[in-house]
Amino acid sequence: MWLFCDGNQARLSGCSLSDYPQNCNVFYMSDTRMLDQGTTPIRFARGWHCLGLASTYSDGKPHSIEGFGTKLVIWQDSKGELNVLDGFCRHMGGDLTQGEVKGDNIACPFHDWRWGGDGKCKEIPYARRVPLRARTQRYETAIVNGQLLIWNDPEGSAADHSILPPELPEVMTDKYTDWSWHTKQINGSHCRELIDNVADMAHFYYVHFAFPTSFRNIFEGHTATQFMESTGRPDKTEGGYSDANSTLKSEATYYGPSYMINWLTVDYKGFITEVILINCHIPTGPDTFTLQYGIAVQKPEGLDEKTVNYIAERYTESFGDGFLQDVHIWENKVAVQNPLLCEEDGPVYQLRRWYEQFYTDVADIKPEMTDRFEFEVDTTKANEYWHAEVADNLAKRAAEEPVSH
Amino acid sequence: MASFVPKSAETLEEERLYTTARMVEVQCLDCLAKVTAKKNSDHHTSIQWSAEARAACPELCRRTPTGGRDTHQACPRMTASIDAAVRSGEIPVGAEDGY
Ligand code: FES
Ligand SMILES: [Fe+2]
Repeated sequence: MWLFCDGNQARLSGCSLSDYPQNCNVFYMSDTRMLDQGTTPIRFARGWHCLGLASTYSDGKPHSIEGFGTKLVIWQDSKGELNVLDGFCRHMGGDLTQGEVKGDNIACPFHDWRWGGDGKCKEIPYARRVPLRARTQRYETAIVNGQLLIWNDPEGSAADHSILPPELPEVMTDKYTDWSWHTKQINGSHCRELIDNVADMAHFYYVHFAFPTSFRNIFEGHTATQFMESTGRPDKTEGGYSDANSTLKSEATYYGPSYMINWLTVDYKGFITEVILINCHIPTGPDTFTLQYGIAVQKPEGLDEKTVNYIAERYTESFGDGFLQDVHIWENKVAVQNPLLCEEDGPVYQLRRWYEQFYTDVADIKPEMTDRFEFEVDTTKANEYWHAEVADNLAKRAAEEPVSH
Repeated sequence: MASFVPKSAETLEEERLYTTARMVEVQCLDCLAKVTAKKNSDHHTSIQWSAEARAACPELCRRTPTGGRDTHQACPRMTASIDAAVRSGEIPVGAEDGY
């Protein structure tokens, strides 16, 4: 393969031409595959983004959360509605998250300008009148499953309530444990790394220590789904997927760019537990995002409250560990626009094509970004190799253990 | 405007390979839906629907239009049609260097 030197190769190979890259006409030949790291988008995804449990914001005080390259202010008004505005006052840039809720408005700590949930300045206590242009960035809100969601669109469209994630029946009743909710800041990677997991069969073995025995994807419209069945690796004990005594049936759907519902049925030695995992994130910058996840466990019948809570806590802990396993990978890898795939890999390119719709002006969305696509990964060979490897690991370990008499 | 911009033209060619190469047209034996499909091995299947095909499939149309979990399942008739196309040799089974 002949490549044209773009100056980078020259630098790497110590090119002797002094006037590269402008006048460099050197072609070089290479079989080495280059990582195309691409350029990350300057815009943030269009769609619903979850800011966490609504109850976190319901105390009448202003709250602060990083998002979409800025800081957002969230507060509850007297009608109980949650309001979300850009955190910086349009007067002189004061930090509204450090302000005060006065009546239904958020008051800036700098000069007391009062901003309403509709984004308009309602009052300037020291002024004759409010300038007509006193409007700030407002985010439309929705409450789903006890969580606060906001609509982001760089084009400024009205929120599309028809594509909100579905309400989960029975969750938030006494049939399920309360949401156990957690937040984790991720630095040094674009949130697309997190999305890539949807199509990544093999990482479940290497990163999450499970055998994915069945793996399927369906992308359609604003949803992307992963079906997986797995059992834990007996040679590992860390993380939510690695218990050799459990088999897992997992169905995980992204509703839009950032909100995933994962229905998990865990079979632990014949004891079945239904777990619902919410995995969502808010992009904060070009290569940072805040991961949030919440877990609710269906209360097994006939168990007392204490045991139920104990079980819920264990699941929360182990799936939380599962995320940390991913985070370590993301924070250390590079972005790749041209992943090189083998036959056992999932449909990464089709997944990214789906994900691209949220970074595209609505008018420019191509049919193939939203058309239904189905993919079944052949996991048979992979599992043969993996079982052999695990058997080998166990044999080595047994050989190392001191023989007891 | 594309947002994740690849730096090299080769990346675009690979995108084309991974998403469309060797996809074979399959007509559903029970309805008017026509999809493209690929089999990299016996257990692997890749199915690309179009809006027209999706609208023509009575099985998928019967299911909840949005959000319902049942839309995440395959249409059994299309699955059977693809299996038939594999048996008749219309869809070759085998991968080409990972795509
Ligand atoms: S900067 Fe907010 S009131 Fe002046
Ligand atoms: Fe993962």
